[in-house]
Amino acid sequence: MKNIPFTRFNIIGLGLSFLIVLIMLQMIRIETSAQGRALNDKAEKNYEYVKQRIYPERGNIYDRWGHLLAGNEEVYEVGVDLSDVQNPDTIAAVSASILGLDYNDVLHKASAKFVPGVSEYTILTDFVDPAKIDQIKQIEANFQNGPAAPQSRGDTTPSLSGLTWTPHLKRSYPENTVASNILGFVSWRSRDQAQGYFGVEEKFNDLLSGTPKDVVVPVDPNKIQDIPTVPPGASLVLTIDTEIQSMVETTLDRYVKSTGSVSGTVIVENPRNGEILAMATTPRLDPNQYWDYAKLFPGSTSYNRAVGTTYEPGSVFKVLTMGAALDAGVVKPDTPFLDTGSIEVGGITIYDWNRGSWGPQTMLTCMQNSLNVCLSWVAEQMGPKRFYAYLQAFGIGHKTNIDLGDEVIWPLSLPGDSDWYPANLGTNSFGQGVAVTPIQMVQAISAEANDGKMMAPHVLKSVIQNGRQYDTAPQVVGTPLTPQGAHTITNLLATSVEEEGSTAVVDGYRCAGKTGTAEIPTPYGYTISQTNASFVGWGPADDPQFLVYIWLEKPKTSIWGSIVAAPVFHDIVQQLVVLMNIPPDSIRQKLSSP
Amino acid sequence: MNQHVIQAYQQAPWRSQVQAIVLFLVALVVVALVSGLYLSISAQTSAEGIAIQNLETQRDDLERQIANLKTQAGQLSSASQMEERAKALGYQETDPSNITYMVIAGYPGRQAAQLAPINPSQSQPQSLIKSDYTESLWEWLFQGALQLNNSMGGGLE
Repeated sequence: MKNIPFTRFNIIGLGLSFLIVLIMLQMIRIETSAQGRALNDKAEKNYEYVKQRIYPERGNIYDRWGHLLAGNEEVYEVGVDLSDVQNPDTIAAVSASILGLDYNDVLHKASAKFVPGVSEYTILTDFVDPAKIDQIKQIEANFQNGPAAPQSRGDTTPSLSGLTWTPHLKRSYPENTVASNILGFVSWRSRDQAQGYFGVEEKFNDLLSGTPKDVVVPVDPNKIQDIPTVPPGASLVLTIDTEIQSMVETTLDRYVKSTGSVSGTVIVENPRNGEILAMATTPRLDPNQYWDYAKLFPGSTSYNRAVGTTYEPGSVFKVLTMGAALDAGVVKPDTPFLDTGSIEVGGITIYDWNRGSWGPQTMLTCMQNSLNVCLSWVAEQMGPKRFYAYLQAFGIGHKTNIDLGDEVIWPLSLPGDSDWYPANLGTNSFGQGVAVTPIQMVQAISAEANDGKMMAPHVLKSVIQNGRQYDTAPQVVGTPLTPQGAHTITNLLATSVEEEGSTAVVDGYRCAGKTGTAEIPTPYGYTISQTNASFVGWGPADDPQFLVYIWLEKPKTSIWGSIVAAPVFHDIVQQLVVLMNIPPDSIRQKLSSP
Repeated sequence: MNQHVIQAYQQAPWRSQVQAIVLFLVALVVVALVSGLYLSISAQTSAEGIAIQNLETQRDDLERQIANLKTQAGQLSSASQMEERAKALGYQETDPSNITYMVIAGYPGRQAAQLAPINPSQSQPQSLIKSDYTESLWEWLFQGALQLNNSMGGGLE
């Protein structure tokens, strides 16, 4: 009798223990079952962690002095969190009045039923200006300070509850159209697929954009972990000088308009190191409104004609022919030549630009008067082998590999090629039958302005990555001329410009220069009424610090480079020497003398 | 006699009950202490975690604001804006004939942009969150015990 309660308690205890063990076993079974693990994973995925793709800030682009050319600005994505909407009417009304959205469309979206995992959030609009968000915030504050806040969906009390705005960055170009042909643009409206097109934005897209990173961020603060820092994309410092670029663009635009040209291109380079100081072309796009691209550049129009369009340069090419001949010792500046008005090369007769005969000449006057017959004779004196060896050394027919997107070339026909004829020697000598881009010409002619050393043209000065600045080094891509040959052609062309009384002459500054007027090839032969007018010049002649190349396409007021292109050089250089702090020759020589 | 001896050494029943209750209470206090400690640390961790989340959000906001302000500064100092402002202030374009040039000894001329150090000493990114906020209770206890051991001259060889 005495043991009975003990036994009963034992039995009850054992029973409860057994039950507890059973419950624990069941818990373990559920926890470790496939279904349990799946549920666990789902819970973790949906409620404990949030997967995020962090896009690094796209790197900035600066000019050589640190002025911002491409940066990022804050904009907002505006959407509706359906779980929190209390008054769809208010959201629709405010969205329509502030953001200019369609009232009915927003009302429809904001009235949608909240279904977890299916219908939770909807985007109303994106890239909203912060000023508009400030207006919405003000309205929201007014509602909150008002008489009563709505308590539930359907309550007619005004409320913006559920309207959300999320900040993010978009690409921005503070200078608008300035240097847009160099910069290119980023298709920022397609956020996930945004990428650079043309120019620097395309060429260095991977560097600028950085590497997006997928991270799992815990929602539970107990599981706090370090969100990995995604380094921003590399920033670039260009060789471009915004002031020079802006001045060149303004001058070019004025001349394209006044001459009725189809387009214009100007490159300003430092021939000593190949740094491009300015590269202006028309038309130019405002990269902040890149969707106008197709309208501004119809068909196969190049975004940057300086690197993306080849053309027959005409007489500016004589600079290379004469430079090569002087360097090779085939002629000297005072070598006489009797111009009879025509010469036969490879079975075709070549005439001077005015179809006249110019009589006794020297190499200086041949260049001064831009005589095709004389230059054809010079090329013949050199012979095809030596002439084309020089052209190849100048990089004609090869890409300059400038650090801009979409560079094109036209292959140079060489003796032995199926498309080369003996007549090419004559026509090529004065820049016909050979096609180049302006940047190819700039690279080649930089050798004449830089003691025979040809510098690689480039726009990238430095890369800033992970807090370090890496400067690029100038590269010599060839030495087609001897220093003596380079000095001789520079002096010859400087004298030529002075004696000719060219409109390119800039008072106080002795510059070498040459005009070019090229007929344009068509399927039916060369046109005479439409030309490509060019001018190339560099200076100061005794210590070249700039090289300016000008190309006006199909000018209407005059077909001649000496009339339409030379004044562009004058106007640009007159302003350029001020911006570059280059004193007139007399003062410079006085200042530099001990 | 034997019965008497046994009675002399047997615990009183209430003593056994008190012992059991005391043991239970001690165990309860230990559990409560550990739970309290755990809760305290968890609460601190949560509070710091929320603070860190807020700080990370603030950092992102600040980075966006910096980018935005840089762009605004770029817009205000753009070539067209500067030209307009200069003209509004009465400046005129320079006439080359009116420029006076002079040599300034030691002045190297305008230097190209240097927007970042060429050779910064610290280049490796470091975690911003201290391990104190990420380690578990056991790791914390273990690290504490290890530090105590080290401070007392112990340590592994």
